[in-house]
Amino acid sequence: MLATVVREEWGRLTSLLLARFRRLDLVEDALGDAVETAARRWARDGTPDNPVAWLHTAARRRVLDRLRAESMAQRKVPLLVVEAERKEGSPVLADPGDLVEDDLLRLVLMCTHPALDPAAASALALRLVLGVSTADIARLFLVPEPTMAARVTRAKRKIVTAGIPFAVPSSDVLPDRLDALAQTAYLAFTAGYAPGSGPDALRTGLAGEAIRLVRVVLGLRPEEPVLVALLALMLLQHSRRDARVDGDGAIVLLPDQDRSRWHRDEIAEGVALASSPALTGPLTVQAAGYAVQARIAVEHATAPTAEATRWDRIVARYDDLVALSPTPSARLARAVAVAEAHGPREGLAALAGLDDDLAHSHRLPSVRAELLARAGDVEAADAAYALAIDRCGNDAERALLRARRAALHFPPT
Amino acid sequence: MRYVVLIAYEPGHWDGADEAVRQEYFDAHHAFEEYVQQHGRRLSSGALSDADLATTIRRDGSSDVVTDGPFVELTEQIGGYYDVELPDLDAAIAAAKLLPRAYTLEIRSVVGVEGYESL
Repeated sequence: MLATVVREEWGRLTSLLLARFRRLDLVEDALGDAVETAARRWARDGTPDNPVAWLHTAARRRVLDRLRAESMAQRKVPLLVVEAERKEGSPVLADPGDLVEDDLLRLVLMCTHPALDPAAASALALRLVLGVSTADIARLFLVPEPTMAARVTRAKRKIVTAGIPFAVPSSDVLPDRLDALAQTAYLAFTAGYAPGSGPDALRTGLAGEAIRLVRVVLGLRPEEPVLVALLALMLLQHSRRDARVDGDGAIVLLPDQDRSRWHRDEIAEGVALASSPALTGPLTVQAAGYAVQARIAVEHATAPTAEATRWDRIVARYDDLVALSPTPSARLARAVAVAEAHGPREGLAALAGLDDDLAHSHRLPSVRAELLARAGDVEAADAAYALAIDRCGNDAERALLRARRAALHFPPT
Repeated sequence: MRYVVLIAYEPGHWDGADEAVRQEYFDAHHAFEEYVQQHGRRLSSGALSDADLATTIRRDGSSDVVTDGPFVELTEQIGGYYDVELPDLDAAIAAAKLLPRAYTLEIRSVVGVEGYESL
């Protein structure tokens, strides 16, 4: 029960306490203490009628105690900058509607402010909005806990010292800020989905938390195109998580995946979101990029078998994506689609010009190796696999590349 | 909040600017100042002499070494600054965006030093 309340209400509680006390340093500790006390008391006395209000009251008392102790020591601490009209009122939990929800939006926008380091911003959002513990965040991002704790502390110090406001910005800046928010969430998502190094192929927990972050904000602004498109993309990619690794933790590529293990409910939601009316109006470049990628994911998710994939349509969507933002990764993915639609020689031709932009990536030589193998050029494929294995920093991916290279010479019969 | 907006630019840029370009710069600075006036106040500001005309004092052991030139040689130099009061970082960013596009801008908040009282 307590775990559920913490999980669902942490961000709302944090934002309420921040709006009232403007003390980023005290609020998080006070809420942590309140949860600890609750764990003891609720086990003994039973869960209170209104668990959220209970936690809010306990945390508020905690902050007040600390403030009293500070005022006796005459310590002056810089306060969080809060919008002028909010300084007067002291919102209470009973406040229905906008006030409370706006506080949660203020909190998310503050955590994902572009003046913060993006990696620290996503960690901070997981901590303050979703209530994920610093130990868990460290595990999810594959860094030691003290490193993550220092990163989060530094981000909080930057917020207070630089005057990053606990505020919803004016309407001319808001779209940029929502883009930054989406980018932060997607950064966390991709870190979980395809980590560059380490023994685990996937850390789906991190991807799941990133989805939860987007859902929280989408709950506040349900029509926001960049969030609708991003959630569609995330759900469609995430739906394949159980099929992406086999029993031994090895990566399974899309055509070889057991499609019965895909999460159909998530695919259905992703497909619906990808064709949402919210995405028909004018979009920012970023929102349009997520929307196109989501539509590509829809093609994969709705193909009954790998062979039935409509690669012609996927190539057309990649053309849209490259036109929108010709990033190396988009061009590489387009080349793969071209190879599927028109054959390996066409795909190899589409790789032209990528070597300079992807001089350190293992993905380019790994795609080239695969296409060369399909085209029957075993020797060149072998050399390309060797380069890919050399550049690859992820254990599970490297194992897959080695297996593919070995299969060149001893094809499975 | 009190902020110092540091203006970095490429030395020589200004000397090569014609009348029309200079007017654009002046207009941009006026737009910045107007924004600051509306949302806060300007405490001080100034254009700085070129960095190659700077004088640097280094404390080397017990002696102070005075030399010609800036701390560090960079392609971009601090060419000026604004010291302003604005509500928050978002306002400081909005104001700084009004300055000429040739500038790179660094925003620093001014902080108190615990225990130090200015005379």
